[in-house]
Amino acid sequence: MLTLFIILSTLFADANQQYADGNYAEAASMYEQVLQENPAAEVYYNLGNARFKQGELAQAILAYERCLRINPRMKDARHNLEFAESRIKDNIRDTNTFFLRKWYLAIRNSLSEGSWAWISVVCFVLFLAGMLLFALSRIVAVRKAAFYLSLVLLVVSALSLMHTLGLHHRDTAREEAIITQGIVNAKSSPDRSGTDLFTVHEGTKVTIKETLGEWCRIHVGNYDGWIRLSNAERI
Amino acid sequence: MIFCRMKRISFILGILSIALMSFADDVVFQANAPKQVVQGQPFQITYSINHRAGAIEPPEFVGFDFLAGPYTSSSQSSTFVNGKFTSTYQEQYTYTLRAQKEGTFTLAPASIKVGSKHYNSNGVKITVLPPDKSDPQPAASASQGQTQRQTATQASTGNGDIFVRTVVTKTKVHEQEVLTLSYKLYVTGLDVRGFTEKTSIPDFTGFFKQELEQKDIQFELEHYNGRNYQVATVYQTLLYPQHSGDIVIPAASFEAIILMPNTRRRSFFDDAYVQATKALQAPSVTIHVQPLPSGKPAGYSGGVGHFTINASITDTALATNDAITLKVEIKGQGNMKLLKTPAIDWPEGFEAYDPKVTNNFKTTASGISGTKTIEYLAIARNSGTYILPAVTFAYYDTEANEYRTLRTKEYTLQVKKGAGDASTPAQVADFTAQQEAIKELGTDIRYIYTGELKPAEQRSSLTAKRSPMTFMMLFYLLPLLIAACVFILMRKRIRENADLTRVRYRQANKVAQKRLKQAQKLMQANQKEAFYEEIEHAAFSYLSDRLSIPTADLNKDNIAGILRQKGCQEDDIKEVLDVLATAEFARYAPAAGHSLNELYDRTAELINKLENQKL
Repeated sequence: MLTLFIILSTLFADANQQYADGNYAEAASMYEQVLQENPAAEVYYNLGNARFKQGELAQAILAYERCLRINPRMKDARHNLEFAESRIKDNIRDTNTFFLRKWYLAIRNSLSEGSWAWISVVCFVLFLAGMLLFALSRIVAVRKAAFYLSLVLLVVSALSLMHTLGLHHRDTAREEAIITQGIVNAKSSPDRSGTDLFTVHEGTKVTIKETLGEWCRIHVGNYDGWIRLSNAERI
Repeated sequence: MIFCRMKRISFILGILSIALMSFADDVVFQANAPKQVVQGQPFQITYSINHRAGAIEPPEFVGFDFLAGPYTSSSQSSTFVNGKFTSTYQEQYTYTLRAQKEGTFTLAPASIKVGSKHYNSNGVKITVLPPDKSDPQPAASASQGQTQRQTATQASTGNGDIFVRTVVTKTKVHEQEVLTLSYKLYVTGLDVRGFTEKTSIPDFTGFFKQELEQKDIQFELEHYNGRNYQVATVYQTLLYPQHSGDIVIPAASFEAIILMPNTRRRSFFDDAYVQATKALQAPSVTIHVQPLPSGKPAGYSGGVGHFTINASITDTALATNDAITLKVEIKGQGNMKLLKTPAIDWPEGFEAYDPKVTNNFKTTASGISGTKTIEYLAIARNSGTYILPAVTFAYYDTEANEYRTLRTKEYTLQVKKGAGDASTPAQVADFTAQQEAIKELGTDIRYIYTGELKPAEQRSSLTAKRSPMTFMMLFYLLPLLIAACVFILMRKRIRENADLTRVRYRQANKVAQKRLKQAQKLMQANQKEAFYEEIEHAAFSYLSDRLSIPTADLNKDNIAGILRQKGCQEDDIKEVLDVLATAEFARYAPAAGHSLNELYDRTAELINKLENQKL
């Protein structure tokens, strides 16, 4: 186990050297080898960089997204993801969703599932402590403060729990996907004769709502249509 | 003299070289005979060869009377052009034959020996026409000809006859279906030298016209209405009807130049022949054009005839910004010139250019045939796998009398990222221009992580299990249980404490009375200091019990406030403070003349008073 990790470490260092020399394709394939054994956030981040330098925009975005799934607080990855997203053709970020939902998602995605779980549990314990204080204290001011504080803590705990469940669903259902084909026409039905409804370009993040054979129904912005499963890759 | 001899030698050498050269040429042995002959009339068949040859072996002339032959003739010509010497030699054998009966006969090839080799001529096909019925009374044929629908003008000049017929291959056609129209000149017994400029051919309104080029006008013998005519096609065109209905092609008029014997010849010096003109008219024709049946398929090209389609593609695996050419070949016969180029439905991400069309048509009397080659050029702009749908070509098949749709096969195109656009993908270039306003210049992705490889984090222990809810429940239920236990325990204790204070409240007076008794004893023993202390103690402990406040929390400064809060009367509060103050003062200044008895009474009275009040 330890020897394997040493081998992977040297492979990772070699890949970094290849990247520094400008051999992005070699670096990318080496990062992918490392990822098979050790799916760490940093490796995904470097893979994303190598893909970006190769011009593989969709693969780069995919790698950054996977990196942020593991470590949402990695600022470099977030920066590079935003940079890569500014280069894709579809400006989905503007048309995507209601702004409150965007904020909600941004807050949710800023921490990992485990972090939210801890926050939720800690807040719940503090809420219980506050409620005890409220119930047992004889001093009115203390009772008042304890009551309101514990209410706030309960709300925070509930929200954190919601985030935990949301992230858990996101990571297990894997509904989000990145378009990998240069340009895709989404159809009204899961066959080739369907009417072309809209066009999505490489790198755009879509939500896969359902799959049927080799087709899947995607949702992006306010649009809904069927594309081939092979034209997108789940994050 | 010597000069003269040398000249002769060179001449002989020249002759020799001619012989050698001619021998080196290929042997051509040909038979020539008229295609049509009239029964009972003699004609000639000629065999010609371009070499000196041995005896000719003619075929058996089955069905023909052998009249005379062979007459042998030979000719030789030499030319010296641009220093190159060429010479031709021709030997001809002519036989005179006469047809015995009408019909079509084929003469077998003749054979001849050149050097040691035998050569065969071509076979000859001869059509024997019946003799003129009314011959030699041409006047009768004039009226006969006029009964013909398609014969417009007849000109009987002497015993000669001349007219023009309009011949169409079909009078009932579909829209766009080809038909051939020819104007044929029929002549017998006259010497036609040509046409004047007064010839006018209609402009065929309602048709697409494709004229057939006429080579030299060649006369052929044709039996028509019981008479043999020299027939020549003077004009021929292909017509493609452009709309349905009965289309009338108006009459065409010609003016022929005829050489006639000079009947007014007066002297020897006058011409023996004079040129006369003769106006001729080809009759008008009505073409019944049927519309194409309804139910034209999608993508109908306008084609009528019979076609095949073939497509080829340069490459199906390409990189972005590579050009791709789809070549579609439409081969067939019909209104090729009026075909629409099929539209190609290029997948999204391909930049298509106008197609290049190459026509290779051959116009014959039966219609236009050939190949239309359409090259579609497109440039791949995006990577991915795309399907180039089949090219469809629909036409009306005149053989099957129905619409047919031809389909090429569809292609799957694999487009990879081109090498040239590794750092700036092509489709990105124009987009970044749009966003430049909100983007700082010179931004790039941040550099890779260069630190040590970290082991992959295990999932957070809280949510590691498949369902986070069941596992996380523990983390909520456990604190909840603990809190509940704490709460219950604490409540119990509070209740017990509450019970204690109630006991103390009830027994406050008893305790106070006990203390007062003790104080009375001390008073009697005249222990002043202990007395005051006991009095003070009694008051404080009583108040503490009554107010349910620990003694330690009570002092002179806050007691008034607490009492007021509890709803005690102002007079009593004053009395309480006064008693306490007196007791304290007397305790620290025993010398002052305070009556012990009076203080005792006051305290007892105060306790009694407070006891009756509800605090």
